[in-house]
Amino acid sequence: MSYIAGITDKALKLIASMPRVALNNLKGLPGSKKTFQRRRGREKGSKHGRGDKGQGARMTLPRLGFEGGQFPFYLRFPKERYYEGHHMKRQYPPLSLLQLQRMIDLGRVNPDEPIDLTTLCNTKLYKCSPEHHHYGVNLTDEGIDIFQAKVNIEVQWTTENVIAAVERNGGVITSRFYDIQSVMALVNPEKFFQRGIPIPKCKLPPEDAIEYYTDPHFRGYLADPEKVAEARLELAQKYGYEVPDFSKDPLYEMLKQKKDPRQIFFGLAPGWVVNLKDRVILKPKAQEWKEYYHS
Amino acid sequence: MLGSRLHSIFPVCYTYARIQELHPLLKRFIVRSTSCNQDNLLTEKSLVGVPESSIYVAQRPSIPLITKREIEFPNRYREPKQAWLESLDTLQDEKLGLVDLHPDIFGTYPRIDILHANILWQRWYKKIDYAFVRSRAEMPGGGRKPRPQKKTGLKRQGSIRSPLWRGGGAAFGPRGPQSFYYMLPMSIRTLGLRVALSVKYAQNDLHIVNSLDIPSDDPKFIEDLIDTRFWGFSALFVDDIDIMPRNISLALKELPQFNLMPVYGLNVYSMLKHETLVLTLAAVEKLEKKLLAQMHKPENDVAYKKRH
Repeated sequence: MSYIAGITDKALKLIASMPRVALNNLKGLPGSKKTFQRRRGREKGSKHGRGDKGQGARMTLPRLGFEGGQFPFYLRFPKERYYEGHHMKRQYPPLSLLQLQRMIDLGRVNPDEPIDLTTLCNTKLYKCSPEHHHYGVNLTDEGIDIFQAKVNIEVQWTTENVIAAVERNGGVITSRFYDIQSVMALVNPEKFFQRGIPIPKCKLPPEDAIEYYTDPHFRGYLADPEKVAEARLELAQKYGYEVPDFSKDPLYEMLKQKKDPRQIFFGLAPGWVVNLKDRVILKPKAQEWKEYYHS
Repeated sequence: MLGSRLHSIFPVCYTYARIQELHPLLKRFIVRSTSCNQDNLLTEKSLVGVPESSIYVAQRPSIPLITKREIEFPNRYREPKQAWLESLDTLQDEKLGLVDLHPDIFGTYPRIDILHANILWQRWYKKIDYAFVRSRAEMPGGGRKPRPQKKTGLKRQGSIRSPLWRGGGAAFGPRGPQSFYYMLPMSIRTLGLRVALSVKYAQNDLHIVNSLDIPSDDPKFIEDLIDTRFWGFSALFVDDIDIMPRNISLALKELPQFNLMPVYGLNVYSMLKHETLVLTLAAVEKLEKKLLAQMHKPENDVAYKKRH
């Protein structure tokens, strides 16, 4: 039996002040002993609630799903292996470039700061519910021709043409994986901080997503930065635009901001506790914890 | 801090060689060395004028003060439980030190239902019901139709041994011998032991002694000792092996409420039947080792089960 903090000691403390546990005062859990009595008597006992003669009365009903010898419905169709585990698959609710451009134009998103899942969820125009296996945002290509903004955006899934649209304007796009606990924290940071638990260490992507997040063509956050630079150039040549030089950009400091693979929030490291009430940040001191949260 | 408090209550003196003489097991424990204080020793001089009845006062020159016991495989998240190490040398309860007990063994959640399941099992598995009643087929006679089927004015009958007849066979009588044997799962049995030990510890009915050696084989001594220490009307003394010291064996021979038991015989029923449980330090060692091995054996692992 696993130890639940405090409960065991509380129970043992309680039992210390009670009569001695002995052979005469033991009892099973309530409901553990099943007693069924067939009702008898004039009012209740004539058919014992089982109706008149037949299978119902004699408890010889055929098994569930049996259709009297006809090939039953539940066996009639072959299983669809395609749907195996479909309820567990990762979902990425879409956000189009058109919607993003609109959010920026209406002032709901500030393009002068890096955009991540929290920024998008804070607009209240985009919804992501981790309880439905939503793992973040899928940036889609609707409105690709009118997208004008220069942004540093972090998405969870995207396509090549969307990457080209963002980079053509001098922006930066990164494909970044968050595990479901981190998504919960990102979607509603205030609720997460109110729980008073340390910011978790973001997990690495699962086996079937590693290929995507290490691919420089999708600007994966685990890809080699040099190869990402190469891929930027390659993509620019493919789509016929020039890659702007970052270092001379006035927004260079903003555009180069990038989270650590273990980091969830900008400016906050894993392991820290944000105390909203006292408005302080508590950081781990013990070496063991530091090693644990170190990326 | 506890060690220093102990020291103030029980001023002691001993040497390391002396401890080794006492018990080879004590070598494993961290022992605190202090200077010899002659005033606190019960020397022969101090026994002068003492009446004959209290002759059982210890002759031991010193008390080893054990401040810590090394637990194997400690639980990282729980403090060890602590218990006094006592001695059966004197009538009065003389504390030899403090020992740590494993919290997973002596601090388990008090699952009364698990104790109940264990007790039911211990009562039932050995039971054999010998009750047996003959059926109509096993009774002698009854082959002949007692009277014609019709025209007698009486009800139709086929055998004098029918269950409806007086002197007939039983319809659904007991068909013994019937065995009620069943096996409780190993996990429930070992958890039962841990819960029983934890409950005894929590209710202050668990005592740990250095050994079961007593100075006299007189039953009166052990009775007095148990009375003096308020150990209740019954007690179970548990040692690690089944060769018990001579004195205690003779003293408890005529006292059915006080019993001796080796660790391999320890069970939930006996623990709950006796008010007090007295374990020797060696018994504690063996118990913890065995129960921890049961708790953490690889067969418990789901991955292991899948593989095999």
